[in-house]
Amino acid sequence: MLRFVIRRVLLMVPALLVVSAIVFAVIQLQPGGFLTQYLEDPRFSPQTVETIKRQFGLDRPLHVQYLRWIQGIVTRGDFGYSFLNGRPVAGLIWERVGWTVFLALVTIACTWVIAIPLGIYTAVRPRGAAATAVNLVSYLGQAMPDFLLALLLIAFVLSRGGANVGGLFSPQYIDAPWGWARVRDMLAHLWIPIAAISLEGVAALMRQMRAQLLDVLGADYIRTAHAKGVAEQRVLWKHAVRNAVNPLISLAGLSLPGLISSTILVSIVLNLPTIGPFLYDSLLNKDQYVVTTLLLISSLLLMVGNLLADLALLWVDPRIRYQ
Amino acid sequence: MTRRIKVWIVIGVVVGLVAPASAADKLVRGYDSLGVAPGKAGGRLTVILGDSPQSFFYYGVIDSNLQALAAHLYDGLVEYNYRTYELEPALAEKWTISRDGRVYTFNLRRNVKWHDGRDFTADDVIFTFDQIVANPEARGGDANAFMVGGQRVKFEKVDTYTVRLTLAKAAPAMLQYMRLYMMPKHKLLPFSVEGGAKPADINTAWPTTAEPREVIGTGPFRLQSYVTGQKITLVRNPTYWKTDASGTRLPYLAQLEMLIVRDPEQQVAQFLAGNVGQLNISGAQFPELRSRQQAGAPFKVVSARALFGSPPHLAFNFDARNPDLARLFSDLRWRQAMQMAINRQRIIDDIYNGLAELPGHGVAPISSWYFDTKSHLGKFDLQAAGRALDEMGLRMGPDGVRLLPNGRPLEFTVTYGTDSAVWPPMATIIQNDFKSIGVRVNLVGILSRTLLSTGLSGNYEALLLAFGDQPDPELRKPIWQPGGALYYWHRATQPATPGGEPNFAAMQPWERQIYDLWELGGTTVSRPQRKAVYDKWQVLFAQNLPVIMIAKPTAVGAIHNRYGNYIYSLGVIPGFNPVPLLYQK
Amino acid sequence: MRQGAAVPRRSSLAWRRFRRSVPGVISAAVLLLLYAVALLAPFLAPYSLVEQHPALTYQPPQRIHIIREGRLARPYVYPMAKTRDPVTFVSRFTADTSRPLPIRFFVRGDSYALLGLRLDRHLFGVDGGTVFLLGTDAVGRCVLSRLLVGSRVSLTVGIVGVAISFAIGIVLGGLSGYYAGVLDTLLQRVIEILLSIPRLPILLALATVIPASWPSTRVYLGIVAVLSLIGWAGLARVIRGQVMAVRHLEYVTAARAIGLRDMRIILRHIMPNLSSYLIVTATLALPGYILGESALSFLGLGVKEPMASWGLLLRDAQSFNALHLYPWLLAPGALIVISVMAFNFLGDSLRDVADIQSS
Repeated sequence: MLRFVIRRVLLMVPALLVVSAIVFAVIQLQPGGFLTQYLEDPRFSPQTVETIKRQFGLDRPLHVQYLRWIQGIVTRGDFGYSFLNGRPVAGLIWERVGWTVFLALVTIACTWVIAIPLGIYTAVRPRGAAATAVNLVSYLGQAMPDFLLALLLIAFVLSRGGANVGGLFSPQYIDAPWGWARVRDMLAHLWIPIAAISLEGVAALMRQMRAQLLDVLGADYIRTAHAKGVAEQRVLWKHAVRNAVNPLISLAGLSLPGLISSTILVSIVLNLPTIGPFLYDSLLNKDQYVVTTLLLISSLLLMVGNLLADLALLWVDPRIRYQ
Repeated sequence: MTRRIKVWIVIGVVVGLVAPASAADKLVRGYDSLGVAPGKAGGRLTVILGDSPQSFFYYGVIDSNLQALAAHLYDGLVEYNYRTYELEPALAEKWTISRDGRVYTFNLRRNVKWHDGRDFTADDVIFTFDQIVANPEARGGDANAFMVGGQRVKFEKVDTYTVRLTLAKAAPAMLQYMRLYMMPKHKLLPFSVEGGAKPADINTAWPTTAEPREVIGTGPFRLQSYVTGQKITLVRNPTYWKTDASGTRLPYLAQLEMLIVRDPEQQVAQFLAGNVGQLNISGAQFPELRSRQQAGAPFKVVSARALFGSPPHLAFNFDARNPDLARLFSDLRWRQAMQMAINRQRIIDDIYNGLAELPGHGVAPISSWYFDTKSHLGKFDLQAAGRALDEMGLRMGPDGVRLLPNGRPLEFTVTYGTDSAVWPPMATIIQNDFKSIGVRVNLVGILSRTLLSTGLSGNYEALLLAFGDQPDPELRKPIWQPGGALYYWHRATQPATPGGEPNFAAMQPWERQIYDLWELGGTTVSRPQRKAVYDKWQVLFAQNLPVIMIAKPTAVGAIHNRYGNYIYSLGVIPGFNPVPLLYQK
Repeated sequence: MRQGAAVPRRSSLAWRRFRRSVPGVISAAVLLLLYAVALLAPFLAPYSLVEQHPALTYQPPQRIHIIREGRLARPYVYPMAKTRDPVTFVSRFTADTSRPLPIRFFVRGDSYALLGLRLDRHLFGVDGGTVFLLGTDAVGRCVLSRLLVGSRVSLTVGIVGVAISFAIGIVLGGLSGYYAGVLDTLLQRVIEILLSIPRLPILLALATVIPASWPSTRVYLGIVAVLSLIGWAGLARVIRGQVMAVRHLEYVTAARAIGLRDMRIILRHIMPNLSSYLIVTATLALPGYILGESALSFLGLGVKEPMASWGLLLRDAQSFNALHLYPWLLAPGALIVISVMAFNFLGDSLRDVADIQSS
């Protein structure tokens, strides 16, 4: 097992290098660049622009820029410099990571709380109006573009006279000390982004739960339990659901990095202090080190998530271990 | 103590108390016609900031959000009058200009304190100009402005409260540059060349991670705290050097918050929800908010003719890659004909909801430099435009598209910004109208922030863009003077080497005329004479159409009823809303 | 030859099972309708994509009346006139009830090209006025017409994108699963690396690469290419897994024994047996392309004027103005939702059918 883990971790390193090279190359293909804002201001002469170019090392050939960046990460833990913000990349990302992870975790939790019971219900009673209604609503959630859903929710809140139309806090609570009032304020703001983001994931998870549960319900040991006379409810909860849920746990680990990217649109519309809007802005401004670092970190998270998923699977299913 | 000494002490104390208050402080008055009344102290205002500032050092970056913040933290030697846009004393109490216009002497206001209590002196002024603004490596600096007649402007400290500038030749617009914000020498010296650092190090001063108490200025508010990406909190400067007409020290507000909201719809939502007290909006958003006001919402929407704010124009590339188009676009008859095909009234009505006016040519209609060129704007007349094109020999082809002299169809691309509420409908209206006179337009949409760089690269055929107006034409010289760095529709006129002379051979006769007018205007000292020069320029502009001006948007803002003294007179640049005069009822 | 005898029976069995699934049948019907509409869009649309009516900007949808003066009449609409509120500048529309405009069919209008023919008849229209069943937008263009013509882009992006991704995925995944060994390991690593790059950011990055000077048709192809580039890796992996599973089955070894070329075996023998699986996967992958295109267009990085797509049309609706004053601009959102849902339901039904097949 340990050898497996070490091998996977070692394989991650060249993979990450390739990812960073690909991303760096793609960004370079984009026309325009960081310096356009300096050209925009008539007070700047072309000489000043040249000076700035030199200052940021943008006059070196591309592969040199890339290699120097890699060297910086490996030797100094320096992820490069953000032209747009005038600060090292690492600090900028660190400031936004907290809320991003918090929002992602809360969203996963809510998705689960809604999807698992619904999945169980539609597995146990697959036909009937309630199941169709649940299916319909969850598919609706998945089909609607998330930015549109977010906007509709804002309009709904405004029409009821509410003030929690964006951000995570009301202005007066942004830098207030933690207390019940602040938590209540945050919850009042939180439900909109969670509703907009998690609705998409609910349908997928619900379907997976149903499929897993149906598989498990058809298994021998369930029939044995029935034959033994165990009560239906107990069979369902103590045996079937527990076994069905296991593989899904590993899937939960995989959805975390995906959430970071899928929340970009909603974060912009709802003005959330997360990484999403930051990434989008950097992309548009060709702030190359920020973009490459963010994508590198997301890829790393995905690879780690994959590894954990595989480990969980190994742990759960002994059959695979001995293959 | 003898009685005489006591009397002198009393007199001394009285004089000591009264004199600083009256000699140093500026009385803000004269705005009664704008509805300004004495206000109440206290209260809090929340405004919108479009994005996180990239730094807290004003001269380290070019960032409109930092500029909005800086307007509350700093002052310049001079400032605009809110009503007339004329320059009046700020940190400089008075100034004299020598007869030949080359020497400026500023007498600084005394007893102005930095936010940390230290005195503002001539050292700060010299330091700001010499070490920061004129530093070519300062990214937000303006070294070019201080090169006059090929020589750097000389800054000297005459005494603690007097500063002298010496120029190689007269440059009347130099006074405009005295609006630049003053920085504290005692805080920023370590980042400057004088303090032993490299020239580029100045840009590393005061990043957004700096301790807010370190970022100091002389302005009405002081930086208190910053929650990354969310909110900036400012508190009242209790020793601010302005008072209102009755002697109450300004600003009235105790606290100013800037809420960082990027999405314009979110901004409106926050305003409607009452979280934000004041909002700058566009003509397109006006009906929604105004109808809510009608329905009884507790705010009012105010519009005013703007001085700042960018009037859109359509530019044809005189140096288009396609030689037939280049020839066509350089022809004045073409530009005049196409001007008749631009429906300015419809654009004003539909895109700006009526909140715009006919444009000036390089100067805002409300500016004191404006010369009425409206008669040259022509009328929207598609038939006349078609006839003019006929007369140019561009006959109509078989499928409704005119033919160039070489027999190819007359079509070209119009490049515009897709991420805006204004450009896409404007582009489609123009495309539609041009189609009806046999000119086929293909629209190319790009991100608005890349519009100028596209223009400068010459990689376009026709372009929709807007430059802001300024109170003094000289500040727009790189745009409108042929051969200027931003004269992007005729790049052949630009100098072969940076800083060299423009390419006169490529200029058309009227361009040479305009060039000479700009040179004259930049050095004429007498205001009436300068005005005459710029008047001639505006007429030449309107007659020869380097670009076709489209409209001048009105400035629109909304403010909650709980605030008084809201004047929206200078236009869309936030920060010129005179926040020090605002008070909470 | 058991296989030959089984095939016709299997497909008819599958069809009967499919027919029993109500959501599946409804979805299939809806999708057929949508694609038929997209095909005939210029004919069905009363106006062209770009025709502007400056006097009638932001007009609400016109109601069709069938009762006049108490009696049943030929369907008609009233002409609308626009006035602007002098204070709020909100546009108000009043119907001129004295002049009913009957709806005529097969009217002459703007000419258009359809299936190689140049035609100018439109399904319906009015004489002496305008009929906007879904209202107009900011410059007075018919929303219904733009919606119909825009459906061509939105609906074909998915099909073309999936087709390209599948083409690449089948070849590469098939080769990888068939040969195994070094080729497989290499391709797997490449696919893993590509899949570990998060989808939306790389989509945005690639979309910004498309030069703005390209005409809108090339931009459309560019968007499709970008979406396919991101989609093929996942498909390839799935296909590779399936190919690996069947690699050792009898019919494959038999085919090899006969001496058939490997590529032929993969394409002509293995893939058809995976066809049900491929169809399901394709159907379930399509919505991702539709949503991806709408997201790109929302950000301004997708198709550009004068081409229309549902995502681009939705941009016009993305404001409080629109939600409050002009809600008919949201129609494209409804269509996106309907088509995505239809694909999902259809894919589910197909999968149920295929699952029952395999068990």
